Amino acid sequence: MIELSKVGKTYRSMRGSDYQALKDFDLRIESGEFFCLLGTSGCGKTTVLNIVAGFEWQTEGQIFVNGKALSGPGADRGVVFQGDDSLYSWLSAQGNIEFGPRMRRIGPRERRERAAYYLELVGLHGQGHKHPSELSGGMKQRIQIARVLANEPEILLMDEPFGALDAQTRSVMQQELLTIWGATRKTVLFITHDIDEAVTLATRIGVMHAGPGSRLKAVIEVNLAPEQRDRTNDGYVAVYRQVHALLRDEVAIAMRRAS
Amino acid sequence: MKSETLFRLAGYAAGFVLLFAIWHVASVYIVGSILFPPPANVIARAIELLQDGTLEEQVAISMRRILTGFLCGSAIGVPLGLAIGSFRFVRYLLEPFTEFFRFIPATAMITVAVIWFGIGEGSKIFLIIYTTVFIVTLNTAAGVGAIAPNKIRAARSLGASTRQVFLFVALPATAPYILTGMRLAMGNSFVTIVAAELIAANAGLGKMIWDARLYMLVDQIFVALLTLGLLGFTTDRLFRWAIYTFAGRFSPVS
Repeated sequence: MIELSKVGKTYRSMRGSDYQALKDFDLRIESGEFFCLLGTSGCGKTTVLNIVAGFEWQTEGQIFVNGKALSGPGADRGVVFQGDDSLYSWLSAQGNIEFGPRMRRIGPRERRERAAYYLELVGLHGQGHKHPSELSGGMKQRIQIARVLANEPEILLMDEPFGALDAQTRSVMQQELLTIWGATRKTVLFITHDIDEAVTLATRIGVMHAGPGSRLKAVIEVNLAPEQRDRTNDGYVAVYRQVHALLRDEVAIAMRRAS
Repeated sequence: MKSETLFRLAGYAAGFVLLFAIWHVASVYIVGSILFPPPANVIARAIELLQDGTLEEQVAISMRRILTGFLCGSAIGVPLGLAIGSFRFVRYLLEPFTEFFRFIPATAMITVAVIWFGIGEGSKIFLIIYTTVFIVTLNTAAGVGAIAPNKIRAARSLGASTRQVFLFVALPATAPYILTGMRLAMGNSFVTIVAAELIAANAGLGKMIWDARLYMLVDQIFVALLTLGLLGFTTDRLFRWAIYTFAGRFSPVS
């Protein structure tokens, strides 16, 4: 369970023009939920993820993960990044996946077994010897997901993990992520600006106000069965419209502020 | 991969043949002077010098100086660079040193080195260390600065401690930069050692050139030049190979 209470984040600048990214941000994600945080670009959604991951500190408010106050990054919260620059180019895919268990001093035999299992799970059976540079964008994101899962965290934090992929690959990856989530039932915080992606994946969608001083505008329950998560389904379209209406005004505000 | 290697070796062989051909034409047909010997004469002289052991001895002396100084210099430069790249305070503390001495070339330090350490090995090794340290330090520091922050963030969220982040992320990510710095330093070491041996030495390839000049042994000067070129070429290829192997197929350098 992740709980953010009255969280604020102000970036201090040397020239005295501080920027308040988040203000009074409240969010509660239950265990086993797939929560999509949706917002316009620059609204502070990545800031939320970075704070939950422990990469950045909030300047106000409190954050609890499973009832405990947050203190820096930890193996209980695995992070999947948007780009591939987090992969270790000097290690093979297998070496990347074994990295977490190796750091946590899990024996070589179990590491190998876990790597093999998660390579299989993300559909990269027999590709473990390849280096990241030999893999396509979609395969690299699979390695990132396998690397995080092999470390068996309670929570997955995903920052637009499919944002850099082509539409076809993205759609395949979304389906596979749903299958994996169905099998593992991890708590997921997934950042995206793509409404379709959110409606396809989430059990709940949080729509954010445009920045600065952003907070949640609304949270929408997505009660769709797996077979309903299809663009032509009526239930899907209804949720899409609801989210779109919420987001449309924020996009307009964001564009006005930017100009 | 294998045909690529063969292709490269064939290219190198053809390149060297061309180099010697141009040299021969320039020497025999264009210059035609005793002051510019053709390759055949130089190679014949090199064989003589190899047979009486002089050439091996001078090469060994020069290379020992380079390697000792180069290894010591790298051993100082790598940790310094890592510290400068990792801690801002260390960077500010040491920047006056690196940015100051960077502009004083090792050749300018020869006189001082000889006064301090004498005409023997001490001054040569000091000069090679001097010429190595700054390049290796600066490259290592740049390598640390170039690590993608997400690599470190990922490691932290995978449960790595600060020490593990350093050992298993920062160090391997910096390795190509360290090796590139060492490769550049090796080139400088050749320049420095010859300069130092020309000016003040009892032995070495530079001394060999100087002595040959005194007795107008032009062939012998060219033997030393040819040897320097071949030694430099070989060590540089070894470094490129090491960088390639370490950094794999994705290195920013090639």
